[in-house]
Amino acid sequence: MTKKELERLVEIEKRVKEIAEECGLITTEIDFELTTAQRVLEGMSYMFPVNYSHWSFGRDFEKHKTIYEHTGSGIPYEQVWNFERPKAFLVETNPFALNALILAHVYGHVDFFRGSRYLQQGRSYSNVADEARNAATRFRHYEERFGKDVEKVIDAGMSIQWHQHPDPFYEEQDEAIVRQRIIEIERAKLGRFKDFKSEFKKPDSEEEIRKIEKNLEFLSTRTPPEPNYDLLNYITKRSPKPLKPWMIDVLTVIRNQARCLNPNRLTKMIDEGWATYWHVKIIRRLHEEGLLTAEEHGTFNDFHSGVTAEHKMSFNWYRIGLALFENIKEKWDKGRFGREYEEETDAYKKAHWDTGAKLGTKKIFEVRSFYSDRMTIDEFFTDEFIREQQIYIWEELQTSDGGALYVIGEDDPESIREQLREMFTSYGIPTITIENGNNNKQGHLLLKHHWTGFDLDAQYMNATMEKIHYLWGKKVFLETMVKGKSVNVTYDYENRKNK
Amino acid sequence: MSIIVSEPVSERGRKDARRHREKQREALKDRLPEIISDEAIITHNRGKTIKIPIRSIDIPHFRPDRGEGGGRQGFGQGDGQPGDPIAERPGKGRPGEAGEEPGEDYIETEVSIEEIIELMLEDIGLPNLEEKEVKELIVEIGIKIAGLQKSGPWSLLDRRATAREGMRRFWYFFEALKKETGLDELTCFRALKQATGILGDAIEILKNNQLTLLDTKVEPFPIFTNEDLRYRKIGEETEKQSNAVLIVMMDVSGSMDDMKKYLSRSMMFWLVEFLRKVYSQVVVRFIVHHTIAKIVSEEDFFKTGENGGTFCYVAYEMANSLVETEYPTDSWNVYVWHFSDGDDSKPKRTVEELEKLIKTGVNMIGYGEVKPSTSMTGFMFNQTESSLWKLFQNSFALKEAPDNDIVMMTGEKETPLLCVRIQDRSHILPALKEFLRKDRWLQ
Repeated sequence: MTKKELERLVEIEKRVKEIAEECGLITTEIDFELTTAQRVLEGMSYMFPVNYSHWSFGRDFEKHKTIYEHTGSGIPYEQVWNFERPKAFLVETNPFALNALILAHVYGHVDFFRGSRYLQQGRSYSNVADEARNAATRFRHYEERFGKDVEKVIDAGMSIQWHQHPDPFYEEQDEAIVRQRIIEIERAKLGRFKDFKSEFKKPDSEEEIRKIEKNLEFLSTRTPPEPNYDLLNYITKRSPKPLKPWMIDVLTVIRNQARCLNPNRLTKMIDEGWATYWHVKIIRRLHEEGLLTAEEHGTFNDFHSGVTAEHKMSFNWYRIGLALFENIKEKWDKGRFGREYEEETDAYKKAHWDTGAKLGTKKIFEVRSFYSDRMTIDEFFTDEFIREQQIYIWEELQTSDGGALYVIGEDDPESIREQLREMFTSYGIPTITIENGNNNKQGHLLLKHHWTGFDLDAQYMNATMEKIHYLWGKKVFLETMVKGKSVNVTYDYENRKNK
Repeated sequence: MSIIVSEPVSERGRKDARRHREKQREALKDRLPEIISDEAIITHNRGKTIKIPIRSIDIPHFRPDRGEGGGRQGFGQGDGQPGDPIAERPGKGRPGEAGEEPGEDYIETEVSIEEIIELMLEDIGLPNLEEKEVKELIVEIGIKIAGLQKSGPWSLLDRRATAREGMRRFWYFFEALKKETGLDELTCFRALKQATGILGDAIEILKNNQLTLLDTKVEPFPIFTNEDLRYRKIGEETEKQSNAVLIVMMDVSGSMDDMKKYLSRSMMFWLVEFLRKVYSQVVVRFIVHHTIAKIVSEEDFFKTGENGGTFCYVAYEMANSLVETEYPTDSWNVYVWHFSDGDDSKPKRTVEELEKLIKTGVNMIGYGEVKPSTSMTGFMFNQTESSLWKLFQNSFALKEAPDNDIVMMTGEKETPLLCVRIQDRSHILPALKEFLRKDRWLQ
């Protein structure tokens, strides 16, 4: 990039920031790093600007690189991190218009980071960027000393990193405090037997008292005191293996990173939709003000339509997210919400409904601040919206030669909402809890899969059990369902296989 | 300004991508029996690479069972009614074409024969290899410190050896100084120390009575000249081992159908490739036989298709004469490997020739009996073992030792005979490993 182009980019960045502020977006100083495509591809694959070394990042890097090299014209991906001082990448070889698009898009994301309560939470954990940078160095030293064991621990930690508490705002409590609370609730039950009359009335109360006392005894040593969703945290803290300090360090870094990134997962659609919504507005302004030429505006349009293209076989977050905000804006501007509108049966009246409410902007900022993807489904994925967007569910049919045919299976809005709810609730991560960390009183680990309509993939389950066993060091059990029957899967080191 | 120009890129991505590919290779190991029994490798692809579809490696995690082939679902957008096809994935032979199809990532990778051998290479080599008078077999075993030298890079300075040289020089100078000046030990020491170890200067100091040091004790210190510095010498570590010759022999008679020939050739192809990789100068001779035996070139060996009756002894006879004339066992390690279906018209003669061969002191005789269970000619003589197999067992007091899921028997050290039965493709890899067990007949 020439000095002149660089100066122009700096000018554009300044103007983008001003426009963003005029639009009501929260802005801050953003570090834009002008860099090579290679570095951006690396950033995409490593989750943070600098992160520790692992083959799975390398695999993703190679994949992104192959795609980039085959399509070639530029990298229409933005890389921006939710840091105290946000950081983003610009590719020096990208066409100028594409870099302008990315600047505008990044300002959209940064507003989302600052405004969304989920992303505020994600930023609050710790300074993960610095942590990742430091971890890279520490892990390298570990590797020098402990060799391939480091990779084994990372593999194992990553295999369960997304099993976190379903409530991202859940505050972790000390085990002793949780136990105390549970015991108090149980003990309160004993209170009612102290009343002589009720004891007299209930001949079986003795037995009940014994039952409660027995339960109290069990609760006094039970670990975890209640089922625990945060697998990696519990295992890191309680493993009887025992884990060495460096292993605990590695696992803690993995967990912190996953916890920091989880809010991004919960808001992926509206986050991308929001950034796309604003880059359209900002670029339009730049063009109107003559800061982008007509030709550059054309280049922008090409990339924009590429990013928001209709995907036949996958969920395009950018396209659907953008449409969602445009839809909300229009409806709330025209007052198409509330009981009166919903109950209107005259199709003509409904189609031309406009109360001049002008509440659209207020509403979309509200969605940005308080919603997760999951929360948008019931409120905004109406039958009309789903039909308008032509969203469907495809199904795979096997063909006789071992291939497959993909057909549209379902376009009923209610079924689609149902599936969207499922996708935005679990993100493909089955709910698993730790039920007992001292199973059979021998320090075995007991896990439970909460069945929600799917069995677990057996091959993956076995391999994951092996990873958990590697961290736990003793037998690991998993209660799950296979074809409608409950089963107890074991991973036993001595036999090195699952029973 | 908040646009900053980036620092140079790290190589992390490439390095980690390499590790991923390495892991894919590891996963290939599980499929080795299937890969190495691919006939195309031997017939069409000699010395080249083979194409294998490889999956990218995933970190295991709990995930819903989406069902293999069929039954998977996903979201999409666009025109259409339920039942309308939107995409397809072709069947066998073309996994994972680029496009929007879901599914595991496949890439078709080229793997060289050499890489496959490396995957199989786990402590294999020639069994019973002995010291002979002439050593020519060069085995690379890595880098080594090959002694010391007087010059070299500073990083390779051997401090201990250098210090030793320095102390030696001190005592040498000390004695010389005493002799030269006839003065007492302490005075000489003081002078040598004051002269920082330079003998000439010490003599001058004493002559001119310039001694200023007042040490009260003789405390030796090392004195270095460039001569005394010792550096480690690095050499590529190779080891010269004794000469080795492989005599590989194959039955090409009429009863050897395509399947049998294929199994034999696969075995021999990999055996020869293996050994050439491990020992750079191994000599290989090829013999084919039916009722007569002849020495052929390697190329012909892997292509020959003949027929007729079978005498196995002719091959052993020829091996015997080769050993006698070209590869005497006092200077050669001799390995004789023979593949046949054991359908021999003169088995007793074969045993006699074999006895002779053992007496010459060859290191190993390997007999691979190819007996496919579904062989076309097999049903006529439906015994599980040939008369030759039985005769070998009785004549040489061989012990049956089923291992690696294949049938085999071996003799004691003084009868280094190994017999292995290969019944189908899946036996190739375990049979190879048996043939190349370094520690066999190790005392």
